[in-house]
Amino acid sequence: MRSRRSFSPFAGAARRPIAAILATFALSSAITVGLSIWATSRSQHRAAVLEIAARQRTLAERYVKEVLLVRSGAAADPATTATDLRVSADALLDGGLAPAVNGDDDDTQISGATDPTVRAELEQERRLVHDLTATGGAILGGRPGPAADTAHERITATDPIERLRILSDLTSNTALNTARTIAANADHSLGGLIMIQIGLGVAGLTVSLLLALALVAATRRRTAHFRSIVSASTDLVFVFGDGRCRYVSDSVTATAGAKAEDMLDEGFTRFVHPDDLDAVRMAAARARPAELVFRMSNHFDEWRQLEAHVSDLRGDRHVRGVVMNARDVSERVRLEEELTHQAYHDGLTGVANRALFRDRLDQAIAIAARTRASFAVLVVDLDGFKTVNDSLGHDAGDELLTTVARRFEDALRPGDTIARFGGDEFGLLLDGAGEEQAAEVGRRLLGRLSDPVEVAGRQLSLGASIGVAVHPRDGEVAEDLVRRADVAMYAAKEAGRGRVETFRHELARELGESLGLEHELRQALQRGELRVHYQPEVDLTTNAIVGVEALLRWTSPSRGPVPPSQFIPVAEATGLIVPVGELVLREACGQTADWARRGLLSEEFVTWVNVSQRQLVGSGMTALVRQVLEETGLPPTRLGLEVTETAIVAKGSASEHARAELQRLHEWGVRLAVDDFGTGFSSLGQLKHFPVDVIKVDRTFVQGVAVDRKDAAITANVVNLAHVLGLVAIAEGIESADQLLSMRRLGCDLAQGYVFARPAPATDIEALLMGGQPLTEAA
Amino acid sequence: MMTVVAVAAACSSGHSGGGTARVVEVTERDFTIHIPARIPAGDVRLVVRNRGPEQHELIIVRASEDRLPLRSDAATVDEEGLEPQTLGTLEPGPVGSTRELDVHLRPGTYEVFCNMAGHYLGGMSATFTAT
Repeated sequence: MRSRRSFSPFAGAARRPIAAILATFALSSAITVGLSIWATSRSQHRAAVLEIAARQRTLAERYVKEVLLVRSGAAADPATTATDLRVSADALLDGGLAPAVNGDDDDTQISGATDPTVRAELEQERRLVHDLTATGGAILGGRPGPAADTAHERITATDPIERLRILSDLTSNTALNTARTIAANADHSLGGLIMIQIGLGVAGLTVSLLLALALVAATRRRTAHFRSIVSASTDLVFVFGDGRCRYVSDSVTATAGAKAEDMLDEGFTRFVHPDDLDAVRMAAARARPAELVFRMSNHFDEWRQLEAHVSDLRGDRHVRGVVMNARDVSERVRLEEELTHQAYHDGLTGVANRALFRDRLDQAIAIAARTRASFAVLVVDLDGFKTVNDSLGHDAGDELLTTVARRFEDALRPGDTIARFGGDEFGLLLDGAGEEQAAEVGRRLLGRLSDPVEVAGRQLSLGASIGVAVHPRDGEVAEDLVRRADVAMYAAKEAGRGRVETFRHELARELGESLGLEHELRQALQRGELRVHYQPEVDLTTNAIVGVEALLRWTSPSRGPVPPSQFIPVAEATGLIVPVGELVLREACGQTADWARRGLLSEEFVTWVNVSQRQLVGSGMTALVRQVLEETGLPPTRLGLEVTETAIVAKGSASEHARAELQRLHEWGVRLAVDDFGTGFSSLGQLKHFPVDVIKVDRTFVQGVAVDRKDAAITANVVNLAHVLGLVAIAEGIESADQLLSMRRLGCDLAQGYVFARPAPATDIEALLMGGQPLTEAA
Repeated sequence: MMTVVAVAAACSSGHSGGGTARVVEVTERDFTIHIPARIPAGDVRLVVRNRGPEQHELIIVRASEDRLPLRSDAATVDEEGLEPQTLGTLEPGPVGSTRELDVHLRPGTYEVFCNMAGHYLGGMSATFTAT
């Protein structure tokens, strides 16, 4: 899987723009508030100054009144008013405590004026106050008026009272104008302040607005990005909130073949497999488990396997839900199941393979250990299957095996296990069966198999050999049970096929011998224990030796002489036949060449060597024969190869290959003989198309030829056929004078058998050849 | 006051054509007005500079033999009474400012004064003769 990042499409996206917006707001607000506080304190101070300045006018007028009152004899206190005027004028100009007037307000502390224009006016005011109070003082003191020059006034009036009044007007006018100037300045600075605040507000708003727009745009982009990812992704995305489906991606609706609104809310439950619904609900509500596999129906109403990763984004304010990312793993699951099935099943017949059988067997042993119930293992080997395979081809063989498997299935209970061990060998595990039941089942199976089967256009009747082993009597571990059932099966085969045999310990001993054979045969090959003997072939007309058949003999140091009927099948089955066959070929060719060089051989003499089908199927037979002939110096015409009937007629590419090899060798001069003729399925017509020189009549016919009319008829037909086709007929295995006579009567050309000579070492044959005498039948 | 301004504007526009007006500098300060004692008759542009420290007006009237009449407050000149002989008015101007007043002077005697409270009595008036 790809790496799993938590699903949070918006996380962290908006933090910076939001922070910038807040900062801008905070900054502009702080500046604005600061300015307002400053402006307010300034305004308060200015208001105080304005009031004091305006009060100068009142004081100046009061001072004139009080001077006039005192002058007319009334009680008044112009001196205090004069002091207030002067102190106030000083305070206005340079700062200080402006006195209260009439107690209707408090003393007011103010700071001095800073504006040059205002200061100039206040200085004039102070000079006028001085001139006013000086003039008032002069009037009250009866002194002549002072020289009025401090404020540069040029008052032409000579009457002191008139002068006092003019000065009062000037004082109050100047105070008033000063107040106006201060107010105008204040208006101006207030206007500036308002402009600054408006500017700040506009700037702050603009920046915030731009940032907000940027935020909205970024969010939109991310949302679009998220949607495009989700939409384009093949992942199936569900978003759940409070256990309800709030969003499904396009891929979900496409898979389900439904509209999004049909899946939202509780709708999704209709598409989830009922068995999986609880798990999906749990994941949707609690985001647990983090991973799950569930089935969802698609628009073909098939269940699709979804593998989902669940992300808990309930805390993410952009999602506020549980996000489920699922992918369709149906194909993978199917493949896994298929692979698992393949690993445990036979590809041809579909029944269990050896591995699964072993698995089931182990289980059965485990169960039996608890329940003390018995069960049985059966090993079934088909009789004659190899012949079918060889003569009708592998396809026919495969078809037959499949039919056999089906018949086993029909005959057994569902709980029983059928396995194919390979080739034509099957294993059966019968649950709960004892010896009697197992044998009964075995017999039933034989009955089923005997029903004719049509394979490749032929009606075949099958037989089988069945071995039975019962747990726990015949073994308590799997290996023992299978091996002992195997032993019993071999015993059934030995006993004549088509039988059911139950394991007995006597069987095991015999089995041990045949199992050891392969090992010993290998050693024999290495140690040179294998020898080639030769059996002469005699012309029935002249009794002259016209050839020999090379035959393999093995004398084991431990076993003594081992008959070919015992070890050749082992060699065939294990593939040892290939090196063994090569050994015979080299030995025979070398020996024959030696005899030829020494002039012991007649013109027509041929040494016959048996060639196994297996040697021909492997490539290189032609090359080997050529090489051996070249090395030994034997002319090709002195070598004959004996092949079985099936090598000539079998279907399939391997057999084609074998025939091509033989064809090439025959063209080169090597003779060919068909061995054991009459036992196979070959049609006589096929012989016409194959370059055979000799037909060997099988010993089973030969041995019955004198006593069995049927065998005699077959033999006569074979010999006639050979002659019709221009071939030579050889009778094998003639053991008696009667048989020899019969064969002569039937017109058989050549013969071999004990009646003439047993197979013998080369030295013995050499003696016969050097004798140059025709062989007569043994006494 | 608005009427006065309107009249002044009418006077200035009525007599300032041609750009040939003579420029006369007038300086005001507490509590004097400096203006040349003789000015050639005709179109004149008075360039009035306020040297402070107070704000000042400038009103120009044809002079009579007596002092100018005062209002009942005994602190300001009765401008309304002088209206027929008023040639032009400049409202109170800030300290340091320079303002212009276009007038057409026929030969005769004229008086200029500031009519802020007390300023005329405090000495802010001057006479000149147009010849």
